[in-house]
Amino acid sequence: MSDASYLSLEKLTLAYGDSVAVANLDLDIRKGELIALLGPSGCGKTTTMRAIAGLLAVKSGHVRLDGADITRVPANKRAVGLMFQSYALFPHLSVYENVAFGLKLKGMRGTELDTKVQSGLKSVGLSAFANRKPAELSGGQQQRVALARSMVMEPKVLLLDEPLSNLDARLRLEMRTELQRVQKETGVTMIFVTHDQAEALALADRIVVMKSGKIEQIGSPEDIYNRPTSSFVADFVGFENIFPLENGKMKTSAGLIDLSGKAPSAAGLAWRPRMVTLGTGPFQGTVRGTSFAGDAREYLLDTSFGPIKAEVEASQPTHALGAGLTFDLPAEKAAPLSRFV
Amino acid sequence: MTLRSLFIPITLLLVIAFLIGPFLIIVAASFSAGETLAFPPQGFSLRWIAKVFTVESFRASFGMSLFLAIGGTAVALVLGIPASYALSRYKLPGAEIVRTIVSAPIIVPGIIVGLALLRYIVVPFQVGITLALFLAHTALVLPYAVRVVSASLDNLRSDIEEAAVLLGSSRIGAFFRVVMPNIRGGIMSAFILGFVTSFNQVPVSLFLSGPGVRTLPVDMIAYMEIVFDPSVAALSSLLAFLSIGIVFIAERFLGFSRYV
Amino acid sequence: MFQNRAEALALALPAAIFAAAVFLVPVVILLSDGFRVPTGGWTISAYTDFFSNSLNQTVFLRTLRLGALVTIASAAIGYAAAFAIVSLEPGAKGKVTGLVVLPLMISPVARTYAWIVILGRTGIVNQAFQALGITEAPLRILFSETAIFIGLLQLFLPLMIISLISALENMPKDAIPAARVLGANWFQVFWKVVLPLTKEGLVIGGTLVFTGSLTAYITPAILGGSKVLMLETLLYQQVAVSNNFVAASVIAFILIVMSFAANILLKRVATARNKQRSQA
Repeated sequence: MSDASYLSLEKLTLAYGDSVAVANLDLDIRKGELIALLGPSGCGKTTTMRAIAGLLAVKSGHVRLDGADITRVPANKRAVGLMFQSYALFPHLSVYENVAFGLKLKGMRGTELDTKVQSGLKSVGLSAFANRKPAELSGGQQQRVALARSMVMEPKVLLLDEPLSNLDARLRLEMRTELQRVQKETGVTMIFVTHDQAEALALADRIVVMKSGKIEQIGSPEDIYNRPTSSFVADFVGFENIFPLENGKMKTSAGLIDLSGKAPSAAGLAWRPRMVTLGTGPFQGTVRGTSFAGDAREYLLDTSFGPIKAEVEASQPTHALGAGLTFDLPAEKAAPLSRFV
Repeated sequence: MTLRSLFIPITLLLVIAFLIGPFLIIVAASFSAGETLAFPPQGFSLRWIAKVFTVESFRASFGMSLFLAIGGTAVALVLGIPASYALSRYKLPGAEIVRTIVSAPIIVPGIIVGLALLRYIVVPFQVGITLALFLAHTALVLPYAVRVVSASLDNLRSDIEEAAVLLGSSRIGAFFRVVMPNIRGGIMSAFILGFVTSFNQVPVSLFLSGPGVRTLPVDMIAYMEIVFDPSVAALSSLLAFLSIGIVFIAERFLGFSRYV
Repeated sequence: MFQNRAEALALALPAAIFAAAVFLVPVVILLSDGFRVPTGGWTISAYTDFFSNSLNQTVFLRTLRLGALVTIASAAIGYAAAFAIVSLEPGAKGKVTGLVVLPLMISPVARTYAWIVILGRTGIVNQAFQALGITEAPLRILFSETAIFIGLLQLFLPLMIISLISALENMPKDAIPAARVLGANWFQVFWKVVLPLTKEGLVIGGTLVFTGSLTAYITPAILGGSKVLMLETLLYQQVAVSNNFVAASVIAFILIVMSFAANILLKRVATARNKQRSQA
């Protein structure tokens, strides 16, 4: 085992009955890393997570953790924690008993158990709620119980299923900070699953973008945000104007179109709305929609080669609906895509 | 295949075999050509199915059971629908007592209901057996009628009656115009459940039989005690397919299981 | 909520009066028979007489025992079956549930009658046993407690399975995987998580099965014969054979007390759950 592969998935294939959900997946995760599995629903991210936890039988391939092959180790014998999207607190048990559940199964009793549970509750700020039932807590508090319940087990890897999706905006920031704190204090390796790119960008050391059971791109948040390598990832992280390239020309529904600058050699190019220049350039469009977004104004343009989304600072002069506009898709600003799907 | 993946199909197979198997055996036995009830059936014939229709007492008791099931359930609904409506929509004084009284026949064993009726209604008031059976079956079905109709009333928003009244309808008019059409499925389901319950009921009717007056299941038991030929099997199969057919159609068109 | 009392009573009273006249009053008089002295006054001597008779004791204990055994067996089988059913795909789940419910639509006479063919002297079980050389002479399975047990189990198992299916489906999603990940083996998952979370369904199903077994008439009548009696068949004999209405009243009272006890338990569990809900 090297440091770079504390947890490694080797040629992992997972299936529900006959339908393959994840195919031949390879992934190495460093100890103490915070990884996000990012992708739309059905991409296999949750399936992968359940297989790491041992809740889903592996069809072929291997899961290795800390030097040991755990592919066939049952879920209750792996040192893997999982915080469920639904939190999965046991409604018949108090907060205290929920946190003590796994420790008791390990055979822990008496003061040792009590100390552990109390410190677990304290670390998430819920000491005062020990005797409450889960149903008497708010959603955010329930999630912190779930976090404490997983963390007192001192797992080698903590898996989190959509950890922020059930929370409102304020609690979301709070939980994000909480997760980062826990990770920093304990050094636990964390993998969380999300469909929300903003969540992944804000929290992860490294992002694994998945699509249809395969890895589409792995990289730092900066890589993923600025340098998507495929049209799928570009689309997923907010590049809304994406075109394939052919012989250095943009391939559109209206045929091959020359770009103003020199196009890089790539399979396609992608522009965020912000990257579109309005009011000057070789292309003609008509304003079909416009909306105000605080510090910016968004435009939807009808062009001969399809709709284009542009965004300019709100201080710029506005263009009325139906107005004709020139614009440019500057090649030097575009993200070059090596794969176009 | 792992042990655990075999658990589900094997469990289901065994349980369903246990629950359905005996019934299938009865069906098979009804096509036997032999003289006595046996499995595997000896040869194949329709003679026992045909015989069912020629046994005079079966015909009479089938008619009686049909009459009790249809008539008793209808009367139970006539009594039960207004009571359900009162329980669900009105601040009824003593609502719990009313609810307990009308649903009590479900809790008390049928044989006791039948015996009590025989001793304290039939004998002292010189009530005919047919009427006594009719009263007993109505009382038996009443709890089901109230339960199913109440459930569908509770699922129906009560402000539609208020809306109807505000639009100029009388309270009773509102019931027939806006409530009834919306609980029709529940009423039909209550009818079918009542029908099946009444038709298959034995203990209530045990003591309530007189010369030539018997319900079909009681008659079948009496017949079995004397003759051990496959005709009861044939009759059982026919009745079972009849019930299953009715329930299947009800489920198809009414979503029966939502109410039961 | 409408407030008009007269209207409410007019709607509810016909049903209530009917049930009271046809059912409640006669049953109450019948039950009081066992406590009345023919010459006036009240006594419990009919009950002491009943329980001092060793045949009655046997029948009483047999009824309790069979009720308990059928309930326990249906719970054990019911959990396995309900687990298997809820783990099916939605389409298959509906079909299998339909097959489980189907017997409830078939006349108990037909369902019980089938066991004669299976358990009789020349029935399938005896044929198979002899063919396999397990036994030489036919076993006497019919007209025994075993036969009644099998018949009652088959009659009431669907009620338990249905109760447990809905209990399992109402369990919080992921409770089982959560327990697994926290280190519970399958036995611990069942004992510490599934059982406490499906307790109500188990109690509801158990009450239905227990009262059903207690008050079943057809099954003991057909599969127990005239020798292996349960309380219901004993009651029938007391009336039809011995004309002993006092004993019949005593048995009726015992049956009702037992059924009511089980039903009160059911109600208590149901209200305990509502209380929990309203707190949440």
